[in-house]
Amino acid sequence: MLWLLFLANLKMVFRNRQALLWALFFPLVFVVVFGVFRFDRPTPVNMAVVDHAGDEVSQQLLQGLQTIESLKLDTKRSEEEARRALADGDIGYVLVIPAGLAQGVGGAGAVTLTLLVDEAQGPQNQMVRSIVERFIDSMNLAVQGGQRLLGMEMQGVNARRVGYFDFLLPGFIGMGVMNYAIIGMATVIALYRQQKILKRIRATPLRVTTFFSAQVLAYLVLSLVQAAIILMAGLFLFDAKVYGNILWLFPLVILANLTFLNLGFIAGSIARSVEAASGLGNVVAIPMMFFSGVFFPTDTLPTALRVVVQYLPLTPLLDALRGVMLEARPLWEFPVALGLLGAWVVVSGVLAVRIFRFD
Amino acid sequence: MAKPVGDRWAQTSLEAAQPIILVEALTKRFGALAAVDGVSFEVRRGEVFGILGPNGAGKTTALECIEGLQRPTSGRTLVLGIDTAKEPERAKERIGVQLQASSYFEHLTLVEILELFGRMYLRRIAPKELLAKVGLSDKARSTVTKLSGGQKQRFSIAATLVNDPELVFLDEPTTGLDPQARRNLWELITALHREGRTVVLTTHYMEEAQELCQRVAIMDRGRIVALDTPTRLIHRLPVPYLVRLLTSTPLPPDQLERLEAVRSVQAGNDGYCLLASSDASKTLPALLMWLNGRGATVEHLEVITATLEDVFLALTGKQLRD
Ligand SMILES: Nc1ncnc2c1ncn2[C@@H]1O[C@H](COP(=O)(O)OP(=O)(O)O)[C@@H](O)[C@H]1O
Ligand SMILES: [Mg+2]
Repeated sequence: MLWLLFLANLKMVFRNRQALLWALFFPLVFVVVFGVFRFDRPTPVNMAVVDHAGDEVSQQLLQGLQTIESLKLDTKRSEEEARRALADGDIGYVLVIPAGLAQGVGGAGAVTLTLLVDEAQGPQNQMVRSIVERFIDSMNLAVQGGQRLLGMEMQGVNARRVGYFDFLLPGFIGMGVMNYAIIGMATVIALYRQQKILKRIRATPLRVTTFFSAQVLAYLVLSLVQAAIILMAGLFLFDAKVYGNILWLFPLVILANLTFLNLGFIAGSIARSVEAASGLGNVVAIPMMFFSGVFFPTDTLPTALRVVVQYLPLTPLLDALRGVMLEARPLWEFPVALGLLGAWVVVSGVLAVRIFRFD
Repeated sequence: MAKPVGDRWAQTSLEAAQPIILVEALTKRFGALAAVDGVSFEVRRGEVFGILGPNGAGKTTALECIEGLQRPTSGRTLVLGIDTAKEPERAKERIGVQLQASSYFEHLTLVEILELFGRMYLRRIAPKELLAKVGLSDKARSTVTKLSGGQKQRFSIAATLVNDPELVFLDEPTTGLDPQARRNLWELITALHREGRTVVLTTHYMEEAQELCQRVAIMDRGRIVALDTPTRLIHRLPVPYLVRLLTSTPLPPDQLERLEAVRSVQAGNDGYCLLASSDASKTLPALLMWLNGRGATVEHLEVITATLEDVFLALTGKQLRD
């Protein structure tokens, strides 16, 4: 029976052209807009300088580097941190000053600095390299009258460079799934109550739990299809980057969607009409859409707001989605996000059962 | 003629002998309002039982309590021997319920809906057969949104019959339909009766109750104010008949008044004479004999029988429809 009802629900979901259109159209509009007008922020050349020498010559070197306008220096990281930041795409370059710089320069041998670069950034690498080389030449000239005491070598690193669009794509997946689940479920429940379909079902021997389980299953399947389509549009039409295992996305979407469906169910139970249900659904969905980090990282929010926002169900979903997609981490490295999502499922589920009414 | 009920639904003889529905002191309150206020009645196997009353009388509430869809505040509702307040699930398998103004899934075809509802029951009738029964075979592949009002109601009855129920509840099955569609539905309900099913229907159309029901409960403000066959309800009125008479020459009213069972005589301004009678079967022969004796030529003679509308008016002092 559950299977049959599930199939019937799938049919209904896919035949409800209007709702379906919104489910896909809405997030895809965002994908297209942001994909076409790449709002990728122009990245200033961020360079971490790791100073293993820590002597007067390296101080001079640093001061000199600081005067170069096109470079934004960061001297606080250890070499390990700097390398990881480069690999994660947080900074563009790392310049490593070896230990014993002063002795080297004072003695006979030449000293070689190492410039670590992200291999994918070919043209920019050449530019930065020439900037640094010109600087080293001028240092050589000033210090030792043209004797080449300082040299430089470039080392390529494979970095994950996360552009703004890559950051947005998991956001759009989360947003699309959330919107459709909340508003779709809210309107369907309100409609079924208004049309007395719920009551009609209650007049049969079918258990209501079976009825709703079938409905939830159908929506879960649709959310997977939805996520896959948004993902593919981003990947194939706009060349978004995904570094992690894409398959992690699906259990995450299902886990979070259970909460969204419950929230929709609650909205549909409270609302007196279909219109009110869709309005109430939007009241729940829209703040999350703006504050839970679809468009910008939640760290940029004022602290007071961030404290609240981190507990909303969309926030842990997006955190975990970005973690698995952009940082290539396995799902189990996000116990906090998973815990929050799980807690939401339980709380919203209990609430949904409490608030539900047939008429 | 009706098949013997016991064959089709295999009751025990004990079951068959009992009323199919027994309602005792049923009360349902919504806050201060007693929507159903101490109602008792029984429905016999195989009859079409009507609950007639104006909007807000409590018909739907009473029906839904009996069906097990609402919990009564107090009282007892036995359906097929099952207490529907205690074990609603057990009764559901064997009854068919049409809700007032309910709808069905918009995005499924008629066949798909019937298939789905059928699977909810152990006993079921094939969708094609159901659609044929209600005359919607050609609409099998369309959706409810494409049906007319009358077709929707017929489909709703088809959905009520998916489990081949011995007891069918129809809540205002013809409200809002045009006369043609209403006739159509009456035929369908009569067919259900002929198949041996028990039908309980609510209506606020007195013609409907009169036409379809073996017995009618008249309900007002949560109470049953009268319950009987339509004919007997009418006969219980002090003056259930009006004899309308036109003769070639005017007649003396005082002599007409003395005829058997005549209660009053009025002269219509169009030359007609109106005789209010408590029993037309006594008034008519006396009138004809009297006319014969006077040698008066009858140009027009008709007997107008009171309706359930008049019964309702007499019992409650108000019209069925406002
Ligand atoms: N769920 C409810 N809550 C409050 N009042 C109700 C409810 N259902 C019905 N009523 C009231 O009970 C009375 C009887 O309603 P109903 O049974 O629908 O009458 P009918 O079917 O005869 O038109 C009406 O006054 C109606 O407003
Ligand atoms: Mg009603």
